[in-house]
Amino acid sequence: MANAVLLPEIVKLLEEGHTVTLPLRGYSMRPFLEDGRDKALLRKPESINVGDAVLAEIAPRHYVLHRIVSIEGDRVTLRGDGNIGVEHCRLGNVKATAVGFYRKGRDKLDSTDGRKWRIYSWIWTRLLPLRRYLLFALHPHIPRRWRKQGTITNIERA
Amino acid sequence: MITKKGFHLRNVCGEYVIVAEGLENIDFSKIISMNESAAFLWNKVDGKGPFNIDDLASYLCEDYDVDYDTAKRDAKDIVEKWFEAGIIEQQELVLA
Repeated sequence: MANAVLLPEIVKLLEEGHTVTLPLRGYSMRPFLEDGRDKALLRKPESINVGDAVLAEIAPRHYVLHRIVSIEGDRVTLRGDGNIGVEHCRLGNVKATAVGFYRKGRDKLDSTDGRKWRIYSWIWTRLLPLRRYLLFALHPHIPRRWRKQGTITNIERA
Repeated sequence: MITKKGFHLRNVCGEYVIVAEGLENIDFSKIISMNESAAFLWNKVDGKGPFNIDDLASYLCEDYDVDYDTAKRDAKDIVEKWFEAGIIEQQELVLA
């Protein structure tokens, strides 16, 4: 189901006070969170702080789950852990905070209050100047047009 | 058979989906979409005790213009799909 359809419904449920488990798509929170593999546990934000991973509506019906890198008054700046660029929104567009993540098919939550997430966050956000090289090293991506014709790569075989 | 606890039919922007719901948490990583007639049947049986394929077939006959044999075949298909999706289960036989 398309995000634009599902997410407004999810936001409604969060506002009613439910927590919601949401499968994650996309590569913008690499390396911690992987497309199609991991899930986030979300709840309505109580307080919104720099460093939080939040669900934000950055344009009408366009939602992202990214990390807050700065808050100035009402203006919030976000950057996905796997991204170089930033997005902006208002405090009111922050619809949910991530309580934690279910990773690699496990049932155990990696809480955002927990040691693992906090240590990862501390290190990864400080490595921002090196991020573009780290992301490439962690997930080497060779554009399709550069690949030799007729050779079958691992990715295609898998 | 009976419906499993914790699976509820929701209408998400005009589409019927079954979502796994706990007391507090709603799990969108396990959603199953349903067409209109499946959703109709689910509402008939969810939380209302045991049912069998004949029950489903007669519900279909009541509300849709089908003959009983076709309805029964459809009901069988749907029950298979619901088992596969893990949203219904066989009742346990209680031997007193």
